[in-house]
Amino acid sequence: MSRAGEMLKQKPRKWVANLIFFAIIVATVIFCFTGSSINLYRLSTIGTSLRIMFTKMVNLNTDFLLGVGVYQFEEGVIYMALETLAIAFIGTFIGAILAIPFGFLASSTISGKVVSKIGVTILVIIRVFPEIVLALVLVKGFGMNALTGVLTIGLHSIGMLGKLFSEAIDNMDKSPIEALDAVGANRWQKIRFGILPQVAADISSITLYRFDINVRSATILGIVGAGGLGASLIIASYNWDWDTLGTILVAIIVMVMLVDAVSSYLRGKLV
Amino acid sequence: MWYVVIAVIVLLVIFAQFIPFDPNYFMFDQLGVILKKMFTPKGNRTWGDYFAYMWTLRGALLDTMKMSFAGTVIGSVLAVPLAVLSAKNIVKLPVIYIPMRFIMNIFRTIPAMVLAIIAVLFVGTGVLSGIIAITLFSFGIMAKMLYEVIETIDMNPYEALESTGATRMESFRYAALPQILPVYVSYLIYIFEINVRTSAVLGFVGAGGIGAVISDNILYNYDRVGATIILIFFVILFVQFLSNYVRGKLQ
Amino acid sequence: MIKFVDVSKTYPNGVQALKDINLEIYDGEFVGIIGLSGAGKSTLLRSVNKMIPITSGQLYVDNVEVSSLKGKKLRMMRRGIGMIFQSFNLVKRMSAFNNVLTGRVAYYSAARSIFGFFPEYDKVLALEALDTMGILDKAFTRADQLSGGQQQRVALARALTQKPRLILADEPVASLDPITTLQVMDDFARINKEFGITVIANMHHVDLALKYSTRIIGIKEGQVVFDGLPKEISDDILIQIYGRSLRHDEVLGE
Repeated sequence: MSRAGEMLKQKPRKWVANLIFFAIIVATVIFCFTGSSINLYRLSTIGTSLRIMFTKMVNLNTDFLLGVGVYQFEEGVIYMALETLAIAFIGTFIGAILAIPFGFLASSTISGKVVSKIGVTILVIIRVFPEIVLALVLVKGFGMNALTGVLTIGLHSIGMLGKLFSEAIDNMDKSPIEALDAVGANRWQKIRFGILPQVAADISSITLYRFDINVRSATILGIVGAGGLGASLIIASYNWDWDTLGTILVAIIVMVMLVDAVSSYLRGKLV
Repeated sequence: MWYVVIAVIVLLVIFAQFIPFDPNYFMFDQLGVILKKMFTPKGNRTWGDYFAYMWTLRGALLDTMKMSFAGTVIGSVLAVPLAVLSAKNIVKLPVIYIPMRFIMNIFRTIPAMVLAIIAVLFVGTGVLSGIIAITLFSFGIMAKMLYEVIETIDMNPYEALESTGATRMESFRYAALPQILPVYVSYLIYIFEINVRTSAVLGFVGAGGIGAVISDNILYNYDRVGATIILIFFVILFVQFLSNYVRGKLQ
Repeated sequence: MIKFVDVSKTYPNGVQALKDINLEIYDGEFVGIIGLSGAGKSTLLRSVNKMIPITSGQLYVDNVEVSSLKGKKLRMMRRGIGMIFQSFNLVKRMSAFNNVLTGRVAYYSAARSIFGFFPEYDKVLALEALDTMGILDKAFTRADQLSGGQQQRVALARALTQKPRLILADEPVASLDPITTLQVMDDFARINKEFGITVIANMHHVDLALKYSTRIIGIKEGQVVFDGLPKEISDDILIQIYGRSLRHDEVLGE
């Protein structure tokens, strides 16, 4: 046998392992479809439902959209969309401001190993807490209004932003700070002239990105009463009101796409 | 730079109009009461019952995992053709990649919960609607992340393969895919992690899993709600830890 | 084997890369193409396997007109032509063996290829090609862990598995150090003589072209300004092709 043939015999047979791996994944996915709460029959009704949904969605209810005619402005989709944006904007703003000190706290560069671990843990706890559950709890304290939404987003964002901020701080260039040390700057001066200029761009970019995501979150917080489009959405779904549902869906898509576009544009400018 | 500050302040003022701020409505004490109720056993129930309750949730937890897993896998698999068709370097014609990117964007902009609400209307409550919601959600996210990767790969081997007479699909399979695969798997795990977090609460709108438990108990059994929250917390933490570990190993 | 008849190529942006090229290349030749960067060498080379389609004229490869070929027929023609690139164009994460194996992809239907199952015959062919290039011991090493010279040999092995009648090489040694350059050029010469594969190579280094080619074609501004034997090249002719005397990076030296 040629040298080539010999070598072929020795070559590791990876494909068997790959095949088994794939088989396991496929089996697991199929397993996910079993269980008492699954009614596979309903899958066949999707076609008709889709058709109904599209025909209803195409007839946009512009009165409802704009909040004119029989609708008060506050009941109109435009108002609700603006409310949602407001919740996201103010919530992100508050979250960002408060996240900065947390970012410093959680950064090992600034706070040293022990303290930063505590900071990180606090942030993790805040982050892992699902937003909707947080909203649910806060509604009890602040009522079923947009303020709860703002607080929820704000609190959750502290967790999310705090971590990213601390990473930005950890990744920055230490040399300007050493230089400032050498000329005898105190802590605040070092922060103001050494750290902030470097991380400002990162922080802004991260915050913009968070705003983008928070708009989506704000949309659904309304489901538990924290203001925004969510409330109207869930009510429409209870009533099988495809018109309203469709209008709101379109509004959500348009709003989020706009925010995405603006956010990407601004973040591009920051780099 | 000052324009930015001014713009932000203006926006803040405008948006603040939409937020009611009436301290009369605040019920801090109520908040405190609720929190206490959530994290202490109610009535005759003991701490043992409190933690034992978590064990009874294992079925719901499994449902949540089913939704996350199936949804992530199916959605991510379906995302591959969409991502390929949206990549400028593979399909050179704008008439193809622009509509594809548009479709991708539509799915990316709809929050998972909204997808769940709609899914419930289509196929009823339960895990199935959750799977559908997560599938569509993952579809959008994975497609976006993937097409960005595809556009940055080294196209040289692809060109080489085409010159040997391979079709575009074959060239993609042998020259582009090996570059994309490791990143794809990493993203898959990342999206799964996100989806566990999301599916935990999808039950709220009827899509099955552990979220439904919360909405069931929210009126009378705050202690159960609290126990569920704690359970969710640790599950997400665990999945996150696992996800970071595996992705780290992949590098 | 290859016949250019009044071939021209104008790019969509208006640049005319080839003007009325008339050439015939015969089986078994080792053709070295020289000229300034941007003179049209790359376009000329890539038009042979229609990687770059020509805008007028006729191009015949084995009596088949290339511009009329599409789809399956085009791919079948390309199958018989190997192509070597300056940057090797290997998949960096894959082993040399797997890279070489991809040379056989065009021989199977699309469905078969998707799963990556190659018959025993192909695998042996790939290993033998690597052996011919003298790097069988590196067969299962990742491509990005090989030196430049080794990578180009892997690329050559890949081309060999196609069982080509023609190899097109676009500045194949421009990225290599002088010693490796000679080794790889020796490989090209060997493939040309032992297997009778026609080689058409763009070369940056003129002395290299003169040493290894059986025929030299000089391109200037999209036209053939010299077509003859290496020994016919004089300094005057070089100035004609390059429009100036050669810079030292265009001569390998040694």
